[in-house]
Amino acid sequence: MPSLTVPPGAPPILQSLTVPPGAPPILQSLAVTLERMLVRILVLLYLAGAPALAQTLCQPNASNGYRVRISIKTALGNQAYEWNENEMFLFRATMAFAMRRYYKTETYNVDNIIVCNQTRRVSFWFVVISPENPTMLIPKADVEKAVSMSRHRINNAFLLTDRTLEFLGIYPTLAEPVNPDTPPWLIVFGVVIGAVFAGIIALLVSSLLQKRRKEKGMMEDGQDEEDRQMKGVENGINLDGIYNRGFTDDDRFTKL
Amino acid sequence: QAFYKLHAISLDSTMGKDAARAEWDNPMQFVLACVSYAVGLGNVWRFPYLCQMHGGGGFLIPYLLMLVLLGVPLFYMELAIGQKMRLGSIGAWRAINPYLGGVGLASVVTSMYLCLYYNVINAWSFWYLFHSFQSVLPWAECPVNSNLTGHVEECERATPTQYFFYRETLDISGSIEENGGIHMGQALCLLLAWMIVYLFIVKGVKSTGKVVYFTATFPYLVLIIYLIRGVTLHGAINGVKYMFTPKMEQLANPTTWINAATQIFFSLGLGFGSLIAFASYNQYNNNFEKQAIVVSMVNSSTSIFASIVTFSIYGFKATFNYESCLERVRLLLLNTFDLAEDTISLENVIHWIAELNRTHPEQFASLGGRLETCDLEAELDTAVEGTGLAFIVYSEAIKNMPVSQLWSVLYFIMLLLLGMGSMLGNVIAVITPLSDLKFISRYMSTKTLNGLVCLFCLLLGLGFTTHSGNYWFTMFNDYGATFSLLFIVLIEVITVCYIYGIKRFEKDVEDMLGHRLNCYWKIMLAGVSPILLIALFIFYIVNYIQGGTPTYQAWNKELGKSVVTEYPPYAQAFIGLLLASSVCCIPLTALYTYCKKRNLASGKRERTVSTVSA
Repeated sequence: MPSLTVPPGAPPILQSLTVPPGAPPILQSLAVTLERMLVRILVLLYLAGAPALAQTLCQPNASNGYRVRISIKTALGNQAYEWNENEMFLFRATMAFAMRRYYKTETYNVDNIIVCNQTRRVSFWFVVISPENPTMLIPKADVEKAVSMSRHRINNAFLLTDRTLEFLGIYPTLAEPVNPDTPPWLIVFGVVIGAVFAGIIALLVSSLLQKRRKEKGMMEDGQDEEDRQMKGVENGINLDGIYNRGFTDDDRFTKL
Repeated sequence: QAFYKLHAISLDSTMGKDAARAEWDNPMQFVLACVSYAVGLGNVWRFPYLCQMHGGGGFLIPYLLMLVLLGVPLFYMELAIGQKMRLGSIGAWRAINPYLGGVGLASVVTSMYLCLYYNVINAWSFWYLFHSFQSVLPWAECPVNSNLTGHVEECERATPTQYFFYRETLDISGSIEENGGIHMGQALCLLLAWMIVYLFIVKGVKSTGKVVYFTATFPYLVLIIYLIRGVTLHGAINGVKYMFTPKMEQLANPTTWINAATQIFFSLGLGFGSLIAFASYNQYNNNFEKQAIVVSMVNSSTSIFASIVTFSIYGFKATFNYESCLERVRLLLLNTFDLAEDTISLENVIHWIAELNRTHPEQFASLGGRLETCDLEAELDTAVEGTGLAFIVYSEAIKNMPVSQLWSVLYFIMLLLLGMGSMLGNVIAVITPLSDLKFISRYMSTKTLNGLVCLFCLLLGLGFTTHSGNYWFTMFNDYGATFSLLFIVLIEVITVCYIYGIKRFEKDVEDMLGHRLNCYWKIMLAGVSPILLIALFIFYIVNYIQGGTPTYQAWNKELGKSVVTEYPPYAQAFIGLLLASSVCCIPLTALYTYCKKRNLASGKRERTVSTVSA
């Protein structure tokens, strides 16, 4: 006659149901049936009670819970999807994934993420319960670290960003600034100043060459000097005199 | 009369006037040079501000009136002097009247101050231009702080564009007293700016004449592109409507008329000696009358054109900020009252505010100070001028445009061309009189002189790249050239019309142009312009005295905004020195010439006595 192995966590009433080995067969089968029923009832009660238990764990402003706010229409506009139970399931699954990733275990499941107080805004509270002990909540700090670690994956699962999928209280870490070895402006500056410098040198050299060519041309025929002197040019100043205002008449020029 | 002939010849030889004076290749180069000089940064950043301050479209009435009464006649007079005397400002004024040669010297001193600080603006334009070649414009976002938790505090309190200008571009200190070191990036950009100026003027008008084809025309191309982009921006029409709605009551305000007059005056660049220098390279018979009218008209129409562009950009920026404000309020309401996302849209935010206040008063009260009031008019009213407009407001608008890097590059290239074009005029105003002086032209060539002037201005200009450099820049900008110019041009007009004589001036013009002076010019030059100038001059003095201690805007890094601070005593003394140094040239030179003439006359008498006795 098989004897029911009583589960270790079972209440004492079940444990007292072990049938003594010398009992008649009818009594034994009755005990078995009774045990099975009791177990089923207990399981049913447990299952019914668990959400109630969980509900008490998840509350707005719970000490270990976070509030999530989702703005799908702001992020996606015309391509926004509707927030329904399936999306909520995905959220819970993603959070379980984040917890698994953080603790590096495979014990977390969708049931461990409890959600409550959903509003039309699409905002809700969630808490994480430990897979080993359903009455124990994972502390806030650990949840925060888990979320921060997988934030990018969580955002991408919903096609949202840090701004449109908000965990109130968890601040997104900003991207590290990219510091190139040479600042890009210095490169453009170098190119421009090099070009300008080359331009200046080119102009100076070309005018120097022009002057030397002119000087060589002048030295070859020295007659030019005398010609210039005859024209009355000395030191580059025209000595022909200038038109002197003092000798003009005050009258208007007469037209011929 | 014989004495006069000798005197005239000796004057010419001391001036070093030679028949082979450089000339523009064709009159078009001269016109473009004048346009390039007159159309500068002031057209872009001062005129739109004045337009907004003084009643939008209505401001055009005093502006155009002052153009006709004051701007064009004085422009004409300066061109006439330059073309007739064929010398820079010092030589030209000495030739007109030896006692008033100081007018030319004062012009050179003022131009020198302008050269020192104006190129710093070009350095800033280069800095912004080079920083536009990045995937994200550096003034679009605040940089992250060292532990990656948030943004830099100073940037959070101010805006990213202000932070980029005051902290990363200038690295500004808290007040004019804290000097700090030189900002290396700024110094490099200033070096580049001066090298480009040298490249443009190294061969005198031969090189300048070719450069002005580009610097005068390309800004218009960019302005047209920006106009098309500007008016197609979302919300631009708000700005343009705001600007052109005339508020006629502003015409009763005397400040409107005074600002119109000063804007015309400074925009055309009168009194610096640049116009005299440019005109001195003209052919003797060049028709400067037509050119004077053309350049003045072009300058004013560019101002109006640029203000349409500016106001469409303003309208875009104001609409963008207004809609961002509405978006923030919408989110705040959605989050506080937990409503579904599509219940409140941008259009009915205001309606919902009233609704929610009525239905949930206690919850609404809990919002408290977080609820902002969004006002489009207030956004449009934030009128800014000067470097604040060009580098902060404009770059803020640009960062919100699509393909912002392209627009940024185009915009700063336009600023650079406008600034460089004006710089050419400023530097030529200093170099032409110096190269006319015989003792300089004997010892060094034009290239060396140009190089030395550029180097000198660069070294002194490095002072504006220090941490407090922007405060010194503002001081030079506000006091270096404003008051002294009015005085210089007033003396110029009185000299030409009354001391030299309007009749002699008329004859000179007839000699050059071939026809007599129109009575419009005669009335304006001899009557209306001097009266207007005297009125402006008196107004400036009264304003300065009434203004009390001069103040400046110091950037406070804790508050993230500018605070009004008084100048310390030594800075006020420096302001006085700036004003006095150019103005005093006139009486001092008159005194010097008087003393020299007395010595010369007494020396001649001695010599004549000795020959007779011998």
